[in-house]
Amino acid sequence: MAGARMTTAALSDRQRSWLRRAGPLLLVVVLVVVPLVFPESVNETIARIGVFAVAVLGLNVVMGYAGQVSLGQIFFLGLGAYVTAYGVSNDWNIVVVFVLACLIPAFVGLLVALAAARLGGLAIAMVTVALPIVGVPLAKRLSEFTGGSQGLSARFGDAPEWSGLYDDQWRLYLVLAIGGAVFLLTRNLVRGKYGRVLGIVKKNENVASSVGISPYRYKVLAFTLASLIGGVSGFLYMLVIQYTSPETMSFGHSIQLLAAMVIGGAASIVGSVLGGAYYVLVPQLTNLVDPSLTALLQGAVLLVVLFVLPGGLASLARPLGRGRRSRARHDPAPLITPSATTKSGSAADTPETERQGHP
Amino acid sequence: MAAELAVQDVSLRFGGIEVLQEVSFTVEPGQIFGLVGPNGAGKTSLFNCISGHYRPTAGTVRIDGTPVQGARPATLARHGLARTFQHPALQLQETVLENVLLGAHTQLPGGPLAWSVRTRRTRRAEERFRGEALALLERNGLAWAAHLPADELSHGLHKGVELCRALLMKPRLLLLDEPAAGLPHTEVENLIATVRRLRAEDDITVVIVEHHMGLIAALTDRVVVLDHGRKLMEGTAAQAQSDPRVIEAYIGKDAADDVA
Repeated sequence: MAGARMTTAALSDRQRSWLRRAGPLLLVVVLVVVPLVFPESVNETIARIGVFAVAVLGLNVVMGYAGQVSLGQIFFLGLGAYVTAYGVSNDWNIVVVFVLACLIPAFVGLLVALAAARLGGLAIAMVTVALPIVGVPLAKRLSEFTGGSQGLSARFGDAPEWSGLYDDQWRLYLVLAIGGAVFLLTRNLVRGKYGRVLGIVKKNENVASSVGISPYRYKVLAFTLASLIGGVSGFLYMLVIQYTSPETMSFGHSIQLLAAMVIGGAASIVGSVLGGAYYVLVPQLTNLVDPSLTALLQGAVLLVVLFVLPGGLASLARPLGRGRRSRARHDPAPLITPSATTKSGSAADTPETERQGHP
Repeated sequence: MAAELAVQDVSLRFGGIEVLQEVSFTVEPGQIFGLVGPNGAGKTSLFNCISGHYRPTAGTVRIDGTPVQGARPATLARHGLARTFQHPALQLQETVLENVLLGAHTQLPGGPLAWSVRTRRTRRAEERFRGEALALLERNGLAWAAHLPADELSHGLHKGVELCRALLMKPRLLLLDEPAAGLPHTEVENLIATVRRLRAEDDITVVIVEHHMGLIAALTDRVVVLDHGRKLMEGTAAQAQSDPRVIEAYIGKDAADDVA
């Protein structure tokens, strides 16, 4: 029995080491090629998936990995989007805008976490519920900065002339580069030292403290990182959608983000990508079926996934990495998303001629 | 450098319930010390007072002369205290090795940024402690399980994994909470051998809470017997086993609980 198990482990070890070497290279090639081959509408859909994959990743850090229920992640996306819109419309340097779109949400997240993490379990959830609920009227009220209910538009990230790319291709490259970097850094972080810490803080705080870990500190850290990543997703949101309003950070969207994380797979990097795809694609698909039944169909999808795959879509990819989830590297998501989007893309046929840029 | 543990007049009250009443004893550096007594005697509560998980209502706990009562467990862990739990809590989906590596936490350098960009320093430290963790597993006969998910191991082996995790912290004072509970006889033998080897090879003070009198008799230099939150007697395991008060405490009222 033990012997048989050892041999299968050895076999999949070999497969894994092959995946480990070829996987990242293949992924990079796919990410470089994807923006060049699809029409504009597909590129925009992929870019939106990227935006929400980053937002789901942030939620996963605090909720999936560290086990702290957060219902306010969309607030940090909204905050990042507003900071970006404000900065761009005031002609600030885009790098400065990006840094502020990371740091301001991170700082707000830190302040909230310092207070909220002192409270146990459900109290944290309640504090985070307040964020989008307070955020929406606040965004309406502070019209000097936010444009009130009208919202703010800001256009940036057009393709530079030397690139010879369409704007949508250039933007998709930006999303893939920035989003990819965030995914890579987060993936590294949730392995090794910090992955173990977040895991044990989620599982058993007494054990965590017995090995020298202050659960409070790491809850605050996880929440702050989630807010920072939320800010990045807000920056990307403005890059891709170019418009934000108080509605962006509504509580309903926060819940959808949560559903996307659970469906994609909690505490999973791949699951965050799948969650982003769910967030963007499922409403589109249910709209195609029958616009009046959108909410109902989404609810049905949610229930079906949870009954069939309680671990989320990412658990489909898990058998390969069984027992070494923390080191499995296959990342099939970007391979899946383009083919899944082609249908909806060809339906909305945008004429090639209107595509903007410098090809 | 093994630590000295001095518990003085420690009392613990939960509402109206007196869990511990003025318990005092001293554990010399390098000793293996037993805390025994029938169920509900307050052994684990006393442990929690030492490890910082409970704050005693009164009294002092000193490690090497420094008062530590009321300090947070995480702080104590950084000062050389490690413990195991009655019911080991492992990350069941993670490998045994990852579970043991949690014990290296305070010794691993670098903040979140360094770990996200995988600096050379963090990679080297991780490698080094991976080696140390494997060596500990090897020493405790668990090397074969290092890369298996923890949920494929038995309860008894979980206790071994938890012990390795505690040892990777390189403690000067190790608290073992009922290490033999639920173990089959052969594994108790292994456990006795392991703790003996600890004393021989590492400079470490060990305090054991245990029901298993065979294990206590085989291992400990000295024991304290608790009953209803009070210290009943202190002496060697042999003295405790022949003490009429101890026999009464065990067989008199709590026979049903403790025969098992």
